[in-house]
Amino acid sequence: MLRRTLVTGLLVLPFSFAHAAAVVGQPAPDFAVRDADGREVRLSQFRGKHVVLEWMNPGCPFVRKHYDSGNMPATQKEATGKGVVWLSVYSNDDEGWLYTKPGKLREWVVARKAAPTALLIDGSGAVGKEYGARTTPHMYLVSPTGTLLYAGGLDSIASADKDDIAKATNYVRQAVNEALSGKPISVATSRPYGCMIKYKS
Amino acid sequence: MIRYLLATTLALAATLAIAQGAAKTVVQTEHVRAEVLVHAPEGVTPGRPVWVGLQLAHQPEWHTYWKNSGDSGLPTSITWDLPEGVSAGEIAWPLPKKFPIGNLANYGYEGTVLLPVPLTVGPSFKPSPSGTLNLKFKASWLVCKKECIPEDGEFTLKIPTASATTTHASLFKAAFDLTPQVLPPGRISVDGAALRLEVVGLPASLRGKPLEVFPETGEVIETAGAWTQAWRGDLWTATLPISPQRSQSPAQMPIVVTSGGMGWRTEAPVVGGWVTGGAVTAGGTASPKQSEAAAPAVGTSLAAALLGALIGGLILNLMPCVFPVLAIKVVGFAQHGIDRRARHLGGIAYTAGVVLSFLALGGLLLVLRAAGEQLGWGFQLQSPWVVAGLASLFTLLGLNLAGMFEFGQFLPSSVATLQAKHPVADSFLSGVLAVAIASPCTAPFMGASLGLAVALPPAEAMLVFGALGAGMALPYLAAVLVPGIARRIPRPGAWMETFKKLMAFPMFATAAWLVWVLGQQTGIDGAGALLALLVALSMVVWSFTLAGRGRITVASIAVAAFVGLAVLIGPSVTSVQAAHRPEKVSQWKTWDPIRIKELVAAGQPVFVDFTAAWCVTCQYNKRTTLADESLLAEFAQKNITLMRADWTNRDPAITAALASLGRNGVPVYALYRIDRKPVVLSEILSVDEVRAAISSP
Repeated sequence: MLRRTLVTGLLVLPFSFAHAAAVVGQPAPDFAVRDADGREVRLSQFRGKHVVLEWMNPGCPFVRKHYDSGNMPATQKEATGKGVVWLSVYSNDDEGWLYTKPGKLREWVVARKAAPTALLIDGSGAVGKEYGARTTPHMYLVSPTGTLLYAGGLDSIASADKDDIAKATNYVRQAVNEALSGKPISVATSRPYGCMIKYKS
Repeated sequence: MIRYLLATTLALAATLAIAQGAAKTVVQTEHVRAEVLVHAPEGVTPGRPVWVGLQLAHQPEWHTYWKNSGDSGLPTSITWDLPEGVSAGEIAWPLPKKFPIGNLANYGYEGTVLLPVPLTVGPSFKPSPSGTLNLKFKASWLVCKKECIPEDGEFTLKIPTASATTTHASLFKAAFDLTPQVLPPGRISVDGAALRLEVVGLPASLRGKPLEVFPETGEVIETAGAWTQAWRGDLWTATLPISPQRSQSPAQMPIVVTSGGMGWRTEAPVVGGWVTGGAVTAGGTASPKQSEAAAPAVGTSLAAALLGALIGGLILNLMPCVFPVLAIKVVGFAQHGIDRRARHLGGIAYTAGVVLSFLALGGLLLVLRAAGEQLGWGFQLQSPWVVAGLASLFTLLGLNLAGMFEFGQFLPSSVATLQAKHPVADSFLSGVLAVAIASPCTAPFMGASLGLAVALPPAEAMLVFGALGAGMALPYLAAVLVPGIARRIPRPGAWMETFKKLMAFPMFATAAWLVWVLGQQTGIDGAGALLALLVALSMVVWSFTLAGRGRITVASIAVAAFVGLAVLIGPSVTSVQAAHRPEKVSQWKTWDPIRIKELVAAGQPVFVDFTAAWCVTCQYNKRTTLADESLLAEFAQKNITLMRADWTNRDPAITAALASLGRNGVPVYALYRIDRKPVVLSEILSVDEVRAAISSP
């Protein structure tokens, strides 16, 4: 395990990714990736609608904080209820030992009463790296014309403690509501906090 | 009786057991063993340092995080439950390590780390009935390998107030050694997608070595992005990639750099302006104004030296062997009325010749100095050898100016008639020759600037020589450019000789000051011996100017007297007094870095006067601002400890403390306070400035 981390570190370090991360105010990179049911999903197919991208990982305590408390499903339901597309993205290395199979993943999501428009399986990590997603959760909002409006955390208090949810500002809810009513996004970037995404190396 | 004793012992044991039962100092989780350690070397008393440390021992491959956790993770946090009168400061974060994971990276700790937290005990604190400080806290940490586990622990402990707790002193010392040392503000600028850092004041031993860099502000740089670093002399620069998803736009950024288990911290305002990317502005906390105060002060002393050199160069023109040359040249072109362009070119070429000659001499000095340093000679005023040498130099210069003896020409005067065919080359050459030919007069000034420049850093020394040359060339250049000036130049005459003699007095005054400096270092015996030697030296020089038969006799006696004195009393000139004369009883205490750390940790500010007897500005400030009754009263009222660090003689500890403030000389006035980086005040200290500094929140 240690050796593998070391080896991957050595391999990746010299290239040290100047990854073309998505930038707020710029066009959001398009992608084509399969969902948990094997259907291909493209970002561009949702032109005309606001799209929320949510990086998640059921093994991460920060993700569980927002799912087990019902915060993530509630935010999701509120957005999709207003016609917003919600794409949950799972970018863990599909050959890694921390990988959850798509079926199990869907079960886990459904058990927490979450209902994303699609649950995307990004086993190669291509989409995550394209967006510069670092943590789970890591949240993005894309405008109907394909511009990135928000990138950052789900809310303002970086912790794994459920009790902090009530005290925090939910930046995604705020950004969705502002975008839907045509207002500028008051907080367009914030600190994404959580577990590091276990990318394929 | 025995029964009574037994009962007491049992009761005591029971109490101890209860006390121990109530304390919970270790929390063991699956991945971390967390233990609370205490360091209270003076018990728990108001104003005395009390440290509580959270020691995290990680399972192999697991880590927790630094104050900026990097791309993911969370810093370890502590929520305190403290009795009245006690407050806790921030964690004194030890130097972190970078954990690169693919295209991302974290900053944190593996193995065992101690996170010390300073407690401030105020006067309102009352110990518990059993004579302890009882405290509770909850610590939360996120521990990660590939997966992450948030963990926490609740701790309770009792610290005896009356006795010292020093069981873990060495662990705390190791942790303090691992906290970064403060550097003066460097420069941080935004350059497109890059953040450029310039860090000054790093130890010379680091030069050329690669450093690790850790911004304390998260969400600004691409943590795992490719970055570059370079050394330019003593300046370390780095270019870091700014994250395209940056969510912070700090006005002020603290940066930590590390190398081989040592770390330094610098904080600077970010200049260049953040490129708007919808980022929220989260202003820095410290005001940039205060931290900038350190920089211009260094400039003032250099500016003064340069101005002095320029004036010195100007005065040089009035010397008997320079002035006639100048006058003849100026009158020459005023009469001949050569065309303007040629005249201007000639003037500039002459200036270049003079300035370059001075720079060449300066370069020679620096080479000699570097060679001397290789041989282990110190060129600081802390060395009595250097002070005595300079005192002799200035005495000789004074005697020369006073007319007791003349320096010979460095070049035969026939060289003066050298002429180059090309008029511009000719002007350049005459500039060079003006410096060399006039050596009987320029030598004293050269000597003076040499004395001044000997203790300056190379770049500044060269600037001083350049300014001296510029000063010397200035009147000629002005006369060339503005013909009106040429007509106003006075005629050469006897006044020049008088002026030269007048110039002897500043030289003697300098020598007198140097004798006083030496007196501070080696006492009255040393100063007296030096004076005697200077008299003998003067006699030796005078005896050589004699002519005829008497010369040999007198010179022999003079030399014998000088050598005799040198052997007899010479050693006391350079024998540094074992203990430097203590200050008179005053509020000022002798500098003690460990005490400063303790006092500051306990929330008590400390004001330090870094001074030296040979530093005129220091003495001036000491006798004016720092002796101001109302200011001293204010220090006392604010409970600020005053310390004086005397750098008259070499002291590596003080040198290191100065370096940590980014200085390599005195005066330096520093205010140390808890949770803040030391404030360095300006060199010409005013009462108002000190007052403002100690009153600022």
